[in-house]
Amino acid sequence: EDEDDNLGLEAWERSYADDRSWEALQEDESGFLRPIDNSAFYHAQYRRRLRTTARIQKGLIRYLYIVIDLSRAAAEMDFRPSRMAVVAKQVEAFVREFFDQNPLSQIGLVTVKDGVANCLTDLGGSPESHIKALMGKLGCSGDSSLQNALDLVQGLLSQIPSYGHREVLILYSALSTCDPGDIMETIQKCKESKIRCSVIGLSAEMFICKHLCQDTGGSYSVALDESHFKELIMEHAPPPPAIAEFAIANLIKMGFPQRAGEGSISICSCHKEVKVGVGYTCPRCKARVCELPTDCRICGLQLVSSPHLARSYHHLFPIAPFDEVTPLLNDPRNRSRSTCFGCQQSLLSSGNKPGLYVACPKCKKHFCLECDIYIHESLHNCPGCESL
Amino acid sequence: MIFKLEDVTVYFPYDNIYPEQYSYMLELKRALDAKGHCLLEMPTGTGKTIALLSLITSYVLSKPENPVKLIYCTRTVHEMEKTLAELKLLHNYQTRHLGPAAKILAIGLSSRKNLCVNSRVLAAENRDSVDAACRKRTASWVRALAAENPNIETCEFFENYEKAASAAVLPPGVYTLQDLRAFGKQQGWCPYFLARHMVQFANVVVYSYQYLLDPKVAGIISKEMQKESVVVFDEAHNIDNVCIEALSVSVRRQTLEGATRNLSRINQEIERFKATDAGRLRAEYNRLVEGLALRGNLPIADAWLSNPALPSDILKEAVPGNIRRAEHFLHVLRRLVQYLRGRLETENVEKEGPVSFVASITAHAGIDQKTLRFCYERLHSLMLTLEITDTDEFLHIQTICDFATLVGTYTRGFSIIIEPFDERMPHIPDPVLQLSCHDASLAVKPVFDRFQSVVITSGTLSPIDLYPRLLNFHPVVSRSFKMSLTRDCICPMVLTRGSDQLPVSTKFDMRSDPGVARNYGKLLVEMVSIVPDGIVCFFVSYSYMDEIIATWNDSGILKEIMQHKLVFIETQDVVETTLALDNYRKACDCGRGAVFFSVARILLARLEYLRDTFQIKEGDFLTFDALRQAAQCVGRVIRSKADYGMMIFADKRYSRHDKRSKLPGWILSHLRDAHLNLSTDMALHIAREFLRKMAQPYDKAGSIGRKTLLSQADLEKMTNDGSINEMLY
Repeated sequence: EDEDDNLGLEAWERSYADDRSWEALQEDESGFLRPIDNSAFYHAQYRRRLRTTARIQKGLIRYLYIVIDLSRAAAEMDFRPSRMAVVAKQVEAFVREFFDQNPLSQIGLVTVKDGVANCLTDLGGSPESHIKALMGKLGCSGDSSLQNALDLVQGLLSQIPSYGHREVLILYSALSTCDPGDIMETIQKCKESKIRCSVIGLSAEMFICKHLCQDTGGSYSVALDESHFKELIMEHAPPPPAIAEFAIANLIKMGFPQRAGEGSISICSCHKEVKVGVGYTCPRCKARVCELPTDCRICGLQLVSSPHLARSYHHLFPIAPFDEVTPLLNDPRNRSRSTCFGCQQSLLSSGNKPGLYVACPKCKKHFCLECDIYIHESLHNCPGCESL
Repeated sequence: MIFKLEDVTVYFPYDNIYPEQYSYMLELKRALDAKGHCLLEMPTGTGKTIALLSLITSYVLSKPENPVKLIYCTRTVHEMEKTLAELKLLHNYQTRHLGPAAKILAIGLSSRKNLCVNSRVLAAENRDSVDAACRKRTASWVRALAAENPNIETCEFFENYEKAASAAVLPPGVYTLQDLRAFGKQQGWCPYFLARHMVQFANVVVYSYQYLLDPKVAGIISKEMQKESVVVFDEAHNIDNVCIEALSVSVRRQTLEGATRNLSRINQEIERFKATDAGRLRAEYNRLVEGLALRGNLPIADAWLSNPALPSDILKEAVPGNIRRAEHFLHVLRRLVQYLRGRLETENVEKEGPVSFVASITAHAGIDQKTLRFCYERLHSLMLTLEITDTDEFLHIQTICDFATLVGTYTRGFSIIIEPFDERMPHIPDPVLQLSCHDASLAVKPVFDRFQSVVITSGTLSPIDLYPRLLNFHPVVSRSFKMSLTRDCICPMVLTRGSDQLPVSTKFDMRSDPGVARNYGKLLVEMVSIVPDGIVCFFVSYSYMDEIIATWNDSGILKEIMQHKLVFIETQDVVETTLALDNYRKACDCGRGAVFFSVARILLARLEYLRDTFQIKEGDFLTFDALRQAAQCVGRVIRSKADYGMMIFADKRYSRHDKRSKLPGWILSHLRDAHLNLSTDMALHIAREFLRKMAQPYDKAGSIGRKTLLSQADLEKMTNDGSINEMLY
């Protein structure tokens, strides 16, 4: 009787009904089933991303609030096991990736539930504390309210110093928003306080979200499935282009605290607990903090370590995107170069047919697509140019 | 871009053109060459307006020996402004390329409410009171009085305009209503009268349908238009309804009461005039003896747009003796109102033809057909003579006279329907007497007869062969174009079964089945939870909508819907519906989400007439009208190629080929076989996938295989190698 009720299905039935594994197959010319070849498509997507981010001023000091929608819609099961669980999992990965790429930045978490927005964690630089707080609070109910979330975040972000980039990333499951007032005013306020709002939807495109993102200069996307969602959220990890008003050169006062000696005992200013060993001392007021980067609780100085700065550096000077090469088979010069300079794999794909590959515009070395992505997204140095 | 279209050089203000725009222009050009009427269907969002404007203006530029005037009719003021804005862009482009030779004068014409710049006149709230407030200040006798008595208020803008006399002209250019107001303010001339004056000189005139179709207005505004004009009816899928509305009158109890009040007002005025200025009334009497045509404002020799409400012989005839005197005319009107009041006292629905209705008036009220026929003009003349300026007060008596004239003039194509109460509220007596017109061709006939080319165009004109029959004309070109899309942005589905696999239909015998109502409810509940922003839900009639909403309310379905979206319901009250629509739009925009319950209504009384006169089968027309409604709803969805929408035809009858084939081609081409026979859960799955897919960013220009944007170079290449014909057909 409950045939259209998913819960009534046997477990084995469900795994087929949900995965729809047959949709990931396609027939080739000779009638064989093959997995759909998406690599060219993904590569094109990646190139698009690359082109937009080449050599412009970046906002390296970011203050990002992640708003997680935990309304009724987040319990839907079209993502497995539920939208909420998928979001939590990806947020965890994102938070780690974010701090990896933006060591000088801070994140805060906000949840929306029963029409009310709650600040889960304040802005901070420690991935662990955010993840712990989020995992403890999973559970969804009620309606969602975009306006309440924006109001809360706007209030929180308006206090941060002017050199920081204010951003909100909203992970929105619901398809409607129950607001207490006029959301257009709130959007206007966000725009005035230069908050860049981005939304990732989990079900379908909503007009208001699009409007919000367009007005505040953010990006709006809708996830097709879990892997796509992961991709979309990770796009927010590299620093966005700087807003014109902030693009003026500006000196920021920073402290480089000393690491406390092994075995020293002191009370840290962040947890107000006695700690042994690990810890840093603020160079101005000599207060003890546990983690970097952070703001000193006592004197308000921004505390970072030099590796943090160094790791942000490559965003300012990205390596130029590689040119795509369509090889000529008969060209003898090409034969000698038919391996990737990065991984030494053959650039000829199956059947000795040359596949798509790229070349560095400076050193003219050839790379395969995987190395291309690795060089641009992780290594940030061209092995060819470095070895010259 | 600039390109050659046969012997015409077309100036198109954008760098790229859609292939369908190109073929649209080609067909239009051929129709203009043939000096005939044409019927063109092209989906919304493909840039019909700019294609049309740029072809016609370019056509005129290429053939300066016979200047053609463009009369562009839109349905709303908003559309008018949009059209003029596009024209302005085009005009700038053309003057940039051709210099001052391309200069044209284009103006929009609207009511005083939209054009007036006098703040005191504008303070009035609705259109009629603005008109009246204007007349109060500009009528000739008021101004004559004001010349002696400075305390009488006049309008300085109108005075300045009059003073400037023939010097008051608009320099060439494109004027939106806004521009006209700004120009008027700056020069101190009244923009309304200036625009009305300039209409005869303008190369392009943009105004509302009513100015051509409504015989009452057309007589004043459109009489000076030359025969060598191209008339365009944009968004014309409802043109037959507009025509019918222009000639339909409904009389309610309030109308009759108002008319009685008006009559006693007029009576007082007559008494006053008798005492002060008896000569005026006598002069009017003499004029009427000589016939209406000589009255001055209806030039007889000019066989222009003959007023359909008044056959041409009426203009030459003398006004019947029994209503020449003002008092006698009043008596006639009193008797008529009395008679109508008596007819409204009925208990059951009555339906009658005009002939028997007139016979009954003659028998009971002693008014013959000829007298009835002259009522409207006679009233008009009387009000002018009595120098009545607050015309908005006299709407009721005007309605009655309008009614009388129509009943007296036509013996066919109309029927009189008296309903004692609203069908939904049988306990509250609210009698209404409707004179409803069945023949759309009556109002539009003069337009076809008078103008060289009439272009009827819209996003949905399917089936395209029905329109010529409905409007009774012979198009030289009638074609339907498909939209070239970069992605499948519309997703039509035919849903035939509910989630319990039982068929759903609004067929009469299945309607009241509780299972069907439940299935529809389930479908909607599921849909509101997966579709963002707005959903419009169409019902076949008000009574069915009420019934189903009541059922849903009882079973708690309505409450479930409200968890996701707000619910708005269309009613027969225009104000309420406008308000509901407004709030619906707001709810969609601010992200709350909303469902709008609306009715795709069908006029049953017209069917019989259509069968008799135009050999259109009832079944055909019903399907046509219902599907036209459906198609229009979808047309609303797509406003540009970036938009997307879903449409669910939830009735098992749509799975039949004969019904489905009446849908416009551009919908049919997207209706995949796999989407033809769905149940609720399958439809939900498809909807989910579709919405996700559509939310992804996409490439505007289209891939190489499916070229949807042509640049000038592309076009030249295609013209040279002949592949353009391939693309078109």
